[in-house]
Amino acid sequence: MSDSTINRLALKKDALFPLQRLHAYAQGLPVDRLPCVPIVGNTAARVLGVTVSSLRNNGKSLADAQVASYRRFGYDNIRVFTDLYTIAEGMGARIRVPEDETAFLAEPAIESVSRISGLRPVDPWRDGVLPEHLEAIKRVVQEVGNEVPVTAALTGPFTNASFLIGAVNLSRLVLKDPASVHSLCKLSLESALAYAEAIFDAGGMPSLTDAMSSSSVISPKQFEEFSYPYLKTLVDYIHSKSRPATLHICGKTSPIWDKMADTRADCISIDNDANLLDAKKKIGHRVRLMGNVHPSAIMLQGTPQDIRREVFKCVIAAHDNPKGFVVASGCSLPTETPFENIDAMLDAVRETGYPVNAGLLEEIVNNSL
Amino acid sequence: MSDNKEQTFFTALSDAVLNMDEGTVEEIAHRVIKEKIDAYRAIENGLVDGMNRAGQLFEDEEYFIPEILLCSDAMYAGLNILNPYINREQQRTRKKVVIGVVEGDTHDIGKNLVKTLLDAAGFEVIDLGRDVQPRQIVDAAIAEHADVIALSTLMTTTMDGMAAVVQILQESGQRDAFKVIVGGGPISQTFADRIGADGYAPSAPAAVKLLHKLFKDSIYV
Repeated sequence: MSDSTINRLALKKDALFPLQRLHAYAQGLPVDRLPCVPIVGNTAARVLGVTVSSLRNNGKSLADAQVASYRRFGYDNIRVFTDLYTIAEGMGARIRVPEDETAFLAEPAIESVSRISGLRPVDPWRDGVLPEHLEAIKRVVQEVGNEVPVTAALTGPFTNASFLIGAVNLSRLVLKDPASVHSLCKLSLESALAYAEAIFDAGGMPSLTDAMSSSSVISPKQFEEFSYPYLKTLVDYIHSKSRPATLHICGKTSPIWDKMADTRADCISIDNDANLLDAKKKIGHRVRLMGNVHPSAIMLQGTPQDIRREVFKCVIAAHDNPKGFVVASGCSLPTETPFENIDAMLDAVRETGYPVNAGLLEEIVNNSL
Repeated sequence: MSDNKEQTFFTALSDAVLNMDEGTVEEIAHRVIKEKIDAYRAIENGLVDGMNRAGQLFEDEEYFIPEILLCSDAMYAGLNILNPYINREQQRTRKKVVIGVVEGDTHDIGKNLVKTLLDAAGFEVIDLGRDVQPRQIVDAAIAEHADVIALSTLMTTTMDGMAAVVQILQESGQRDAFKVIVGGGPISQTFADRIGADGYAPSAPAAVKLLHKLFKDSIYV
């Protein structure tokens, strides 16, 4: 049986701009649909029809691509992002930039702890590609900042530290030389604070992302020692600007959910190794949740029907999260994610509408199996 | 030398690997040589046993990547001392794995972990390092007469390189010469099936189990 003929709810057009929707949703007022954020990164280059590398060091292109992508899909948050390495690059890491793929770390900034003293925090208005990213934020804000939140990815200090000295090195130091790990994290924190301030000055908001802090990499105890204090400082800083903080950590996170909530982050974005229903039960009364359609298995490789089903499953699990829920991909989308799949995510959320009728969604999911 | 005394050495080696104690591993390894205890058995029943226990703790989420890396450092420190003392007749030809992180991806933590655990499980592992191009991986596998090509990625952006490896093998008519296994955060079984890989492992210990399954538990050629 085709699920699309029988079990299709009315597909409503968006009635609100993202800022209106998010504001109303936060107040518990009626909205047209749940907020939805397919985490679009370099896919924006595809929307604009340019190469991935052409965005990274060109504020105008980066802004044009992000605005074009937002207008194309109508999601609820613009995130100025090309790769995780922009701060580390400003501190001396060598980044390779393939013509049409996401940039990656070629060499960390230093090879041994003896060189830590030579590292300096970034000046975001001067170092690496950061000035162009700030330019992009300004332009995006100017164009669509009155209708949609404009954020910029801010790499967490522990993750940035791994780019400064290499992930394997840093992992060893966690046990062998904790003081050096803290030195690297402190330097990374100073950079992050400087960039966060610049993001605010450009009119945007930082959005924290901290891949290496995952429980797929370090233990909850190590998270508490090496990630938590620095993330907390960043969240406090964002709150000092009266702005909400979003924290994304990849991979497994259930052992650290409590600590993630302790940072006082307002919204926690979880990956596919984490379960929305469990997260709701554990921390849903403290934080908004965001997640977690699989970025590659579903968003990249699935069909629009797969995406509709997975979105419904997420909605069923977390629509009644006490602090709210944002339908999202578990992590940044692969560059080549088909447009129709991103459309399918938004359409599934539009179809769901608000308030959510979870029973009806469950019926649809069951019928589509 | 009584079996009991030997076993005491093996247990001490295993414990020292598990406790990430490189210095103690070296000390015991030197004593193993001095006492003329069989080096091969000291490796199998001591070092490898310790690494297997560490792998189990990793699976149980008691050990994490930092701990596993230090356990493997300790294991390799012992291997360096004991390897020269292995008898030639004990050196059977083991299945060979060529491992690399595909082009454009330098997240090599996962790869190092898979390498260490496969090594500990008795496979011969050739590490191509990070950021290797699909063509280089295939060339190396052919030159090394490898049995397995293991590919890892932690980035959704570099998954296409994995598909390219399988495609090159198919086009050159060599697909059946190798088992191709893939793993890493953004990878899924669906993806492995789609690109025509022989298997997918969600974690490093799972990669060992996968190869045991594919080879029906024999690590020897």
